[in-house]
Amino acid sequence: MRQVFKINSKEKELQLNPGDTLLKALRDNGFTEVKCGCSEGECGACLVLLEDMPVNSCQVFALSVKDKEIKTVKGIGTLHYPHMLQKAFVDAGADQCGFCTPGMVIASYALLRKNPNPSKQEITEALDGNLCRCTGYVKIVQAVENAAKELSDSAKL
Amino acid sequence: MMSHDLQWYYPEKISEALKLIKKDGIILHAGGTRILKTEARHLKGLVDISRLKLNYIRKEGKNIIIGSGSTFTDVINYCRKTNSLSGLCMALSEAASTPLRNRMTIGGSLKDFPVWSSLYSPLIALNAQVELVGVKEAYSVEDYVRKNIIKTKHIISQIVIKDEKDVICHVRRFNIVRFEYPIFNLAVALKVKNNIVVDARVVITGVTGRFHRFKSSEKALIGNALTDDIITKSSEYFTPKFHSDYKYSPEYREHVAKVYYNDIVNELKKEMK
Repeated sequence: MRQVFKINSKEKELQLNPGDTLLKALRDNGFTEVKCGCSEGECGACLVLLEDMPVNSCQVFALSVKDKEIKTVKGIGTLHYPHMLQKAFVDAGADQCGFCTPGMVIASYALLRKNPNPSKQEITEALDGNLCRCTGYVKIVQAVENAAKELSDSAKL
Repeated sequence: MMSHDLQWYYPEKISEALKLIKKDGIILHAGGTRILKTEARHLKGLVDISRLKLNYIRKEGKNIIIGSGSTFTDVINYCRKTNSLSGLCMALSEAASTPLRNRMTIGGSLKDFPVWSSLYSPLIALNAQVELVGVKEAYSVEDYVRKNIIKTKHIISQIVIKDEKDVICHVRRFNIVRFEYPIFNLAVALKVKNNIVVDARVVITGVTGRFHRFKSSEKALIGNALTDDIITKSSEYFTPKFHSDYKYSPEYREHVAKVYYNDIVNELKKEMK
């Protein structure tokens, strides 16, 4: 079947099956920036924003969100025009293998929109659904702190 | 893996949704997280409840009313903002992860008592009522499970919890790794007047028989100040019975539960002061 979704502020028609998760529907239709990690809702690699709230797209039925605004990491910034938060991840060396990075960026973006000046504890809590097997999280938390600092100066979020 | 013939329904009235779920293989969909983990293969249809407007939390007189479509995050935000239901807030904040809590709903987590649910022990300890459509209108959450109403075809419309400022409730869950499903959830709620416990409810889930209330422990606390002797006495009656599995022996679980029970009651004692 075909169904129109609102993804990254544009209407897109996706080809999908009624039982597909949002993760499968997105990836099958070219949104491969949404990563498939555990498919169990535990690793956070597949995070997207659903009405500005981070959710595990592997734990969401696509057809249950057909009327909602979906944002992937490419809706925040692109390769050539990265968002300040994405740039902060690169600058801090918080993106080693990069597989968890889209999910980390989504979770951090949602946090900073809600709380532009988070404490270390609040950053850790906001990233409690994201696993990284490379960095040990230190650089990731640092990247979010740096981004918060820069964003508070420029108010660009 | 889901069936490719799965049918989706988007009713706008509860009565329409109820009619649909009476058919075989058709169930309600709220957040969808439980369905994906447990029921995916056998389904013929999903009834999405997002248009039934069950996502609300409000205060009505002395009660806090939580619509069954409210997510864990909605409830946590409400509790923090209004400084109410701290035990429930504590339990929900420890459940799963931020992105999952944005999807998991109160109704979905009550339906069928999933093993990972952190809801039952605080709700029973707080003597919450569950209001239903499709069977008798309301039950205590305790009776909802005990009388097996949980297995009937119905729709949970809302949860009603008394907002009593003299009730204090603490919860504790046991799991080794954060993402592991809780091995047990323990909740103790005390109603306190002039430093005397006038009512108590001690509830644990993850035990044989789904949950257990320790009425002898409660009795030992009621009518008394929380002295060390009273805590020790109530702890003697706290003897949860667990299943055996490859991870932890029932004796080990019981030992941990007893330690947690003592910790919680001592925390509550401090809070009373």
